[in-house]
Amino acid sequence: MAANFWTSSHYKHLLDQEDVDMVNALDKEKGITLEDFKLIKMNMTNYILKLAQQVKVRQRVVATAVTYMRRVYTKKSMAEYDPRLVAPTCLYLASKAEESTVQARLLVFYIKKLYADEKYRYEIKDILEMEMKILEALNYYLVVYHPYRSLSPLLQDAGLNDLNMTQLTWGLVNDTYKMDLILVHPPHLIALACIYIASVLRDKDTTAWFEELRVDMNVVSVPRYF
Amino acid sequence: MSEFDLSKKVADRYLKREVLGEGTYGVVYKAIDTQTGQTVAIKKIRLGKQKEGVNFTALREIKLLKELKDPNIIELIDAFPHKGNLHLVFAFMETDLEAVIRDRNIVLSPGDIKSYLQMTLKGLAVCHKKWVLHRDMKPNNLLIGSNGHLKLADFGLARVFGSPDRRFTHQVFARWYRAPELLFGTKQYGPGVDVWAAACIFAELLLRRPFLQGSSDIDQLGKIFAAFGTPSPSQWPDMVYLPDYVEYQHVLSPPLRSLFPMASDDALDLLSKMFTYDPKARISVQQALEHRYFSSAPLPTDPVKLPRPAPKKESKASDVITNEGPTVLSPPRKSRRVMPGRDGSEGNSLQGDKFDDSVSVRQAAGDNTGKNEPVPMSLDFSLFGLKPPNRPTITSADRSHLKRKLDLEF
Repeated sequence: MAANFWTSSHYKHLLDQEDVDMVNALDKEKGITLEDFKLIKMNMTNYILKLAQQVKVRQRVVATAVTYMRRVYTKKSMAEYDPRLVAPTCLYLASKAEESTVQARLLVFYIKKLYADEKYRYEIKDILEMEMKILEALNYYLVVYHPYRSLSPLLQDAGLNDLNMTQLTWGLVNDTYKMDLILVHPPHLIALACIYIASVLRDKDTTAWFEELRVDMNVVSVPRYF
Repeated sequence: MSEFDLSKKVADRYLKREVLGEGTYGVVYKAIDTQTGQTVAIKKIRLGKQKEGVNFTALREIKLLKELKDPNIIELIDAFPHKGNLHLVFAFMETDLEAVIRDRNIVLSPGDIKSYLQMTLKGLAVCHKKWVLHRDMKPNNLLIGSNGHLKLADFGLARVFGSPDRRFTHQVFARWYRAPELLFGTKQYGPGVDVWAAACIFAELLLRRPFLQGSSDIDQLGKIFAAFGTPSPSQWPDMVYLPDYVEYQHVLSPPLRSLFPMASDDALDLLSKMFTYDPKARISVQQALEHRYFSSAPLPTDPVKLPRPAPKKESKASDVITNEGPTVLSPPRKSRRVMPGRDGSEGNSLQGDKFDDSVSVRQAAGDNTGKNEPVPMSLDFSLFGLKPPNRPTITSADRSHLKRKLDLEF
């Protein structure tokens, strides 16, 4: 979305890392640790990505779906909201919200193709029921901003917009969705952090450019989570 | 995070009242919010039979309305699932602009028109600032609350714009409000389409009937060109490159003044800027709001004082009138205004008489009605044995047909 991030619900609802890292009481009872919690979410991110590759949707639909999934688990337990159902449903909802609808039956078809395991088996009606519950958990806030949009103008501005750097940073942005960064940081900062990492990896000196941007490098160095 | 509260809302919170109507995707009924005592309108969204979950149009509306909070945009108060259906709770709105325009008992002073247009543009400005195109602007979608405030509603066709290369369907807006670039099949368009529609609404407020009533897309363009002249390439250089461009017989535009004899010079200047052919040269909503029309006398009427149709149930006319000074006291059928200039040879001399009583009464009442603009005429269809023509809307057939044909993002 090209719209104004600073007046969006996304900006207003950015969370502190500590709030994102709260394991739900019900899940704690089941012995899920913070480490498990993060791993399950990473796993489900991969699940969404795999499904998305099958049904062929744009990257931003995947990014939105992952964001929905991560937002859901800041409020709901995995005990009550089975990640194996939440993940495909988030993709389903995100595809609608991002105006490139994927049919539920198609998702069900590919779920069966990807996973033989009974535990992944869900039908159309399960997805539609969960859709309603997810909408409620998200409090009907559906607009999400992603780092992708700011990426290419920023790269261009830094004079790093060759194919190699673009691909590298784009991939790094994709990887940020394996964590909860999108719930905590504004997207343009995530984009900057990815450019920073990419420039370090490729031995490009961007110090002057970052100085000129007047961004707080302590904030940009967020990738300590990597 | 207070907005993500945990308290489960149940349908019990709302006391259901009468059904208000059938919307595009479900029933709308009136209800009382027991928590606030407020009257609300609840849209019950039927789940599609095709097993596709929450209706796409409804989802679009929810998504955008959650981001657009403004006094001139309908407020989505709440949403909740109940018995498998999604329910959307909106503030209850008394009437809409179409009802106001149609009501022959209502006299709209130049200040009233200015006020309605200003509120419309303010709501639209918020949408455009947030990069949202409404794409279904028409009087029927401009709702009016009990305090006279006008709010943009029905965001089922609205969507986000701003990606330079995104292609959209041109099958948006009810035909009479469709901008010429849409009628020529453009797939890349911007906020100008909403401005054109707002101009049509402005014209409709002045004329008290839909301005350009085309019976088909081709006819719609014909009506537009008959009013403003066939655009020359210098007026609109990109026109000939549009997908559905066809050459029209060259016609000259009659003076705008002849179409809107009652409008002030400022009103005509703004109107012509909003009706500019080239979308790139068309005035933006923000610029329109800064136009001198809105700062010159008469100033926009205070929304509370705007005339609105009498409530349907009790026809106690006095209740409604108290706010806005006396109006014509003769029975409603008699107070109907007559079309000027049809049977008489000198239309202009007749017009003066027709509005004498209503104008003078309103001005005597100390309304902020200016004197430079006479009250616009209203058109009485029954006089000619005509029914008001049916307003075209976008049919679902249109949509699916086009989506298939063009494989565009809707």
